[in-house]
Amino acid sequence: MNIHTYEKAWLVAAMVLIVGFMATITYGAVGPGIAMIDDDGGTIDPAEINDHERFGEPGVEHVGDDEYEVAVVAQAWSYTPEQIEVPADSEVTFYVTSRDVTHSFSVVGTNVNTMVIPGQISEMTVRFDEPGEYGILCNEYCGEYHHTMEGKLNVVPEDEFDLTELSVDAPSEVEAGNETTITANVSNGMQEDLETTVALEIGDQGSERDVTVPGDGSEEVEFTVDSAELGEGDHDWTVTVDDYEETGTLTVVNATDGGDGSAASGGDGDA
Amino acid sequence: MRNAYVDQFPAEAKVIKAAFWSSFLALAIGGSLGLLQALHRTDVLRIMEAPDYYTVLTAHGVLLAITFTIFFLVGIFTWGVTTSLDRGLVDLRFTWGWYAMMVVGTVLVGVSILGGVVDAIPMNADVLFTFYAPLQPHPAFYVGLVLFVVGTWLAGADWFRTWLAWRSDNPDERIPLPTFMALTTTLFWYLCTLGVALSILLLLLPWSLGIVDSVNPLLTRTLFWYFGHAVVYFWLMPAYMLWYVMLPKLSGGKLFSDPLARVVFVLFLLLSTPTGIHHQYLDPGIAEGYKFIAMTNTMFLLLPSLLTAFTVVASMEHGARQRGGTGYLGWLKALPWRDPVFTGMALAGLMFAAAGFSGMINAGMNINYLVHNTWWIVGHFHLTVGTAVALTFMAAAYWFIPQVTGKELWNRSLGLVQVLVWFVGMTFMSNAMHRSGLFGVPRRTAEPQYENFAFEPAAGSMGEINAQVALGATLLTVSLALFLLNMVMTSLGGSSDEIPDNTYAETLSGPEDAPVVLDNLKLWTAIATVLVIFAYTLPLASIIDAGGLFGPGIDGFQLAIEAGPAFVLESVREVIA
Amino acid sequence: MRISKGALLVVIAVLIPFIVEFRTALSWFGIEISVLESLVLGAVVVLAIVIWAVWPPNGDAEAEPTGSS
Ligand code: HEM
Ligand SMILES: [Cu+2]
Ligand SMILES: [Cu+2]
Repeated sequence: MNIHTYEKAWLVAAMVLIVGFMATITYGAVGPGIAMIDDDGGTIDPAEINDHERFGEPGVEHVGDDEYEVAVVAQAWSYTPEQIEVPADSEVTFYVTSRDVTHSFSVVGTNVNTMVIPGQISEMTVRFDEPGEYGILCNEYCGEYHHTMEGKLNVVPEDEFDLTELSVDAPSEVEAGNETTITANVSNGMQEDLETTVALEIGDQGSERDVTVPGDGSEEVEFTVDSAELGEGDHDWTVTVDDYEETGTLTVVNATDGGDGSAASGGDGDA
Repeated sequence: MRNAYVDQFPAEAKVIKAAFWSSFLALAIGGSLGLLQALHRTDVLRIMEAPDYYTVLTAHGVLLAITFTIFFLVGIFTWGVTTSLDRGLVDLRFTWGWYAMMVVGTVLVGVSILGGVVDAIPMNADVLFTFYAPLQPHPAFYVGLVLFVVGTWLAGADWFRTWLAWRSDNPDERIPLPTFMALTTTLFWYLCTLGVALSILLLLLPWSLGIVDSVNPLLTRTLFWYFGHAVVYFWLMPAYMLWYVMLPKLSGGKLFSDPLARVVFVLFLLLSTPTGIHHQYLDPGIAEGYKFIAMTNTMFLLLPSLLTAFTVVASMEHGARQRGGTGYLGWLKALPWRDPVFTGMALAGLMFAAAGFSGMINAGMNINYLVHNTWWIVGHFHLTVGTAVALTFMAAAYWFIPQVTGKELWNRSLGLVQVLVWFVGMTFMSNAMHRSGLFGVPRRTAEPQYENFAFEPAAGSMGEINAQVALGATLLTVSLALFLLNMVMTSLGGSSDEIPDNTYAETLSGPEDAPVVLDNLKLWTAIATVLVIFAYTLPLASIIDAGGLFGPGIDGFQLAIEAGPAFVLESVREVIA
Repeated sequence: MRISKGALLVVIAVLIPFIVEFRTALSWFGIEISVLESLVLGAVVVLAIVIWAVWPPNGDAEAEPTGSS
């Protein structure tokens, strides 16, 4: 075959270009170890998601040192959880699966971007060096309201991050003269023990209790409240642990007023 | 004596004309919908409800990427085969048969999509042209697609038959270049459509009819992309053919090298299909090694395109010098820039070169993570299929319509203005799309405005980018209207004696320089098949092994038709609770 | 005319992507020019090209390159 000299030169240059590309990309893939999606995540039956050990309770989990795992379930047209908080400068592995159709889990403006295919689990590990706020969106068409599917990823400074949860159990009413208890439940999702102080303020009284919550465990703290000291009427209370706060109101009623005496709780929830 | 195509092959000219008009109709509807989308997304003008956006987008994708392109190319290939073999098709009833089949298929698909906005049609196919399960269209959508594809298979069979008939009369001749191009393209089309046809017939259609009750979404998705990358070369090959056999002639010269042209088409036959997994770099369930193989094949596919760039430019330079052009770049001045056929194709080629750059970014396994499913991709393929192919076809129509009708082009200057406006409009639209993809603006999204965050352009503002898209889209639509006007007016005109002869470019270095093995279609098909087996057996096996042929009880979702959003949300909540 | 009217139109059209991309490219180096500025820039370049094209070379104004259609 008769090939023109220029054409030969062009051919050689083209091959050099192509091989060069492949070399840089291979280096990029193998060298700095950029997260790529592959089949490591395994498969899952979408009908079993609620009973799945990881996806049954989606969210952030501390697995040791500076390693975290985040389980996310995508469905038309939202993510569970919608808000994700992780510490900066740690290794975060996302596990994402879909309950219905194919979605994506894409952290805007970064290369954290994966398809979320029903039956499959997408796994990817990322390091966020700096704190920052990122949008999460679905960029794979998933039905009529696909454009409303979004979430949020907050990368917070390491020392501001914890996996503490506070919930409070308190009655809403107490008969004047009786004692009652307000129970704070502090759970700690980190692997290390958490040493902290639980504080209750009610009316103008306050009390504090130091606790050590074991790693991956929880601790209950009971505060005894004497209604006689509070006097009749509504009393706002606040329980705080670190940055978390729960509030509610305790009403001290006169026994003869015959409050309905129900044990409806006056304020419990999760921080 | 006039010697246009219609004079040589009056019966074939009728089929080609019908195919062209089918394609123009798709272009007219699809293009107008494109404007609607661009204005809606950019919040310039919103005349539809957000959910209808996806019906419109499904229609835009199917009508332009499938209907417009393929109807036009069956016309071109029919022209190329008959002209270069210098004989008619074997049996025109057969030819009209495949044309009719393609039409019926298109109508079925079209009606099922239309059902998404017209309540009277109890169908729905808001699944976009990729129809990823478990999104589920009405079965008519699948049936229509299959009919359309089988129609193209028969078209291919028609060209092969015609070639074999010619072969028995000319046992020792080389396959003429245009026929060679049509046949190699048809071969990889068979190879790649087999995957999607099996996927529809064995998995998706029975599932949508309720015969089986589950699919494996990753499997059908992989089978879609098994076809989905090769299809882009199916659109591109006729454009390449026109660049090889028309552009040199239009520039006033000859094709630089026939053998190289054959090498290019053989490379496309070999490599078009075993690359599809490069659309799935972000898919779970596929090991990195398979993605890497797809990437390697993709990178090698750059080679035939780079060779084409060389040959086309060299042939144009040769033509320009024949016309008296001189100097290093001075020869450019001697090219027939006033001819819309030439200018349209040349500009399409220029934009394709630009698309090559963004394409290399897409092909890189790791860089792809930044741009996958963003508007960058949409910017990219409006340069490839939306310009390299579409503009080449429109420019070619200025030559072909007179050829198949015997009527002179209504207005050549308007034709020139039209191709220039397309070029300028696409510059604006595609540049803005590329840029917005880099900071994460997603594709296929009716209203990309989020509550939790705002996009942060590296430069400029979101408003400015939106304005640029809207401006570009408007120019494109104007250009489209000018094109259709010219076509309609040409058809309304009377017959003319001024039509040039039906010829294509001669070559400087002819087929006698090409090794005979290049014409061994059986050999290349065998190698192509082996490459496909290498690239796909293991990934498909592991997908089926992990998820089963039919998947773990995955039902269909028609997230639109009877289910209002409230309904769906409610049912999702039930599942969560 | 140094080049045909058709060629002039083509040159102007091809110029537009260069101006658009020039603006994009500059922004990578932290230089941001506004839409208005790039419009002005474009107009100046187009004007320059038109003047160059229309200016008669060596006086024979109708000299068109041989064979251009
Ligand atoms: C008047 C000219 C055109 C305009 C204004 C236009 C506009 C658009 C817009 C705005 C989108 C993006 C939708 C989104 O991501 O949300 C789009 C998608 C698309 N366009 Fe065009 N377009 C035009 C011409 C074409 C042509 C000629 C082709 C092909 C031959 C084409 C093929 C496509 C395809 C395949 C998609 C993707 C559909 C999908 O994501 O499912 N377009 N177009
Ligand atoms: Cu989505
Ligand atoms: Cu591809």
